[in-house]
Amino acid sequence: MPSRHRLLPDGHIIVTGAAGDFAFFDSEEFDRFCVSPEKLDLHKQADLRARFLLSDEAMPKGMQRLLASRVAAKRETVTSGPSLHAIVPTLQCAHSCQYCQVSRTLGDKGYTMSLADLDAACDTILESASNQLTVEFQGGDPLLRFDLVKHAILRIREGAAANHRIRFVVASTLHQLDEAMCAFFKEHSVYMSTSLDGPRALHNANRPTRGRNAYERTLAGIQLAREKIGADAVAALMTTTKASLALPEEIVDEYVRQGFREIFLRPLNSYGFAKRNQNLLGYSVQDFLNFYRRGLDRIMYWNQRGVELREVYASILLNKMLSTFDGGYVDLQSPTGAGSSVLVYNYDGFVYPSDEARMLAETGDRSLRMGRIGESLNELLNSPVRQQLVEASDVQSMTDCRDCAYNLYCSPNPVDALAQHGTMTVAAGATEHCQRHMALFDAMFLTLRAADEDTSARMHEWAQVRESCANA
Amino acid sequence: MRRVSADLDERCGLRVRRVVDFEGFAAQWEPSMFFLVRVQTPEERRSIEDLQRTGLDNLAWAISDQLEIGDIVVARPSKGELIVLLRASDTHHALFLTNRCNSNCLMCSQPPTKDDDGWLVEEALEAIRHLNWHPRTIGLTGGEPLLLGGGLRRILDAMGQHLPQTAVEVLTNGRLFADMSVVETVLSDLSTKVRWLVPLYGHANFLHDFVVQAPGAFDETIDGLLTLQEHQQEIQLRSVLISPVLEVLPELALFVARNLPFIREWALMGCEPIGFALANREACEVDLVAWGATLEQARAVLRTYRIPHVWMNTPLCALPQSLWPQALKSISDWKNVFAPECDGCAARQSCSGLFAWHERGWKPAPLRTMETTEVNS
Repeated sequence: MPSRHRLLPDGHIIVTGAAGDFAFFDSEEFDRFCVSPEKLDLHKQADLRARFLLSDEAMPKGMQRLLASRVAAKRETVTSGPSLHAIVPTLQCAHSCQYCQVSRTLGDKGYTMSLADLDAACDTILESASNQLTVEFQGGDPLLRFDLVKHAILRIREGAAANHRIRFVVASTLHQLDEAMCAFFKEHSVYMSTSLDGPRALHNANRPTRGRNAYERTLAGIQLAREKIGADAVAALMTTTKASLALPEEIVDEYVRQGFREIFLRPLNSYGFAKRNQNLLGYSVQDFLNFYRRGLDRIMYWNQRGVELREVYASILLNKMLSTFDGGYVDLQSPTGAGSSVLVYNYDGFVYPSDEARMLAETGDRSLRMGRIGESLNELLNSPVRQQLVEASDVQSMTDCRDCAYNLYCSPNPVDALAQHGTMTVAAGATEHCQRHMALFDAMFLTLRAADEDTSARMHEWAQVRESCANA
Repeated sequence: MRRVSADLDERCGLRVRRVVDFEGFAAQWEPSMFFLVRVQTPEERRSIEDLQRTGLDNLAWAISDQLEIGDIVVARPSKGELIVLLRASDTHHALFLTNRCNSNCLMCSQPPTKDDDGWLVEEALEAIRHLNWHPRTIGLTGGEPLLLGGGLRRILDAMGQHLPQTAVEVLTNGRLFADMSVVETVLSDLSTKVRWLVPLYGHANFLHDFVVQAPGAFDETIDGLLTLQEHQQEIQLRSVLISPVLEVLPELALFVARNLPFIREWALMGCEPIGFALANREACEVDLVAWGATLEQARAVLRTYRIPHVWMNTPLCALPQSLWPQALKSISDWKNVFAPECDGCAARQSCSGLFAWHERGWKPAPLRTMETTEVNS
């Protein structure tokens, strides 16, 4: 029976099976499991059979069907067609963040989508078979071109079939948000997703604006959105910069102070401008892990005091590890969600497989263009770029992934590999993406193995499939 | 089965009949139905006999104070008794379809026989046809109803046609759904809405197969469950809380939660101390109070995975209080009793009580008379 194993830092061994179920062993028991499982305690044998970690030579029909249904449930997101469509109406933004890859200042011309392309993008989105769609506006700052956002939402609403459930999200600094926009967003149930990097000093240092008041203005936007659109209308995510590394507790506390129930501790991606400023902005995988661990500890601290706060990155990992249903997160899918679950309609008239891919294009590598806006969904999904992405993220065939204990929870990130190593097919083990996720899964399993009832319950709770408000 | 004694018309025969009263039968009479008129005086009886002489051969009389109007009965004239197949005032209604079974469960309350009892299908069809009231639910039980193949399908179709508002439940081990021809016969284009009650006693083949005493049963039941799911059929999974099941209950719960999340609910049930359970007493007699921590562990797993579940056939004093919200009053009316300890118990109103045969068998736990303060806390 195909099962894979990995030695955890605490000396225990985790064994994972084809359905995604797992078991922990000490080294003595593990040896017995490998050599003569029939000598294991009968109840242990039963547990291993129930987890698809042990079976007779030929698996009987019922168990075979059961396994197939389990695998299908875990692959549902990526097999059900594009579900996250991002539109980049403009690259203009009032911020000039050092780590930002793409944005252009307000005066720059030529960084805004044409109306014809916007219409065509909306029409392609409506071709999606998936009956649960998220349409997210990204930038730049889309609210600088509210006219385009509004135009697109109205066009999609009008054209949507009755059985299409469409969720709109606008990713914005919220600096431009006004009451008229709020009224429109409320009417069309549009969520706001904003960036909040932490306390005032950190946020303002990360996100310079002319008035040096990015923090104050984003908070004002959050407050306005909550008042006028709805209490749960805004989600926030943070980007971890070098300056953030020393401040995980302060960052978490800021989210608690601002009344958020979710926080997303996101590592910085090394694309575009961020890559060029690597020495200035970059940090090691270990730096991030230390930061992340402290951040999670602080979240637990608040949880124990009755404050509801969920970390989104951990929820994604735990959903992969613990839930039998796929949470619908487009990250860590195999084949990759980029270009299969996600399509990005960029201001430049082209369709890209992910946010990172269009950022890569800004720095000169346009090889990930799937096609022009206006091509049918079918053409886009049959493009050579998508084929390459699928091949470069199949954990069953790729060296390093094939035998990895975490390969049902994880996947290589071919776009990231291309950005960092110049090729999608670099050995996964050599990528920062792999190193970070191996360490994160290790840490999660270590915590789970040693967890008391409360911690275990919380981890399972985070793993549940949920309708997230704006963190897609 | 509820049996009632009666003074019976010898022309009663072995037919399924609807019980009517003397005043009311004329309004209900129709030539294709068979009636048993409950008579209370010699005059009434003579009137029925007069009618019989005029050619109304679908009437018979009975004298019994245990019959209710609307009962669907079949007579056992040689024993001077009637079997009440369906009774309107009951909470639970069931039709017994066969005594044959392809499993041999350790705790079977209805030990199987090999005799051909195909007439039970016809009896059930007649019972359905004679109903003039609409039970909320009718359970179809056995034995193993899937052994009837086309016979079961005829009953399901008849239920859909005659009793469209009645919910239909079939108690089956699901094993024969591993056979495509049975799937085709029973499920293909089935328009009657059915809830399938399917037992599972372990999370690995050797555990389940031991309890049902049938090698290969686990895999066939899993296969059957997936087939039911594929046909969008509603499933209630069932497990009887005997020792071999309790010993693995938390892991079984995890298996159910992770592999069978499509079930509508899971019923965890106290054992009926009758039938094979008496012969396998060492496996079947348990003190549920002593297993309280195990029951709570299983509940924690089910809550984590949000699997709806109910506890059946267990008095409240045998269950940890945290389980009470999911505890049902589930014992069929004719089997249901309370013990002397239950007198004055503050939880009695919402309690399942006991199986009548606990007196000859055993109780699911030492019973306790609970105080009001304890129950409301």
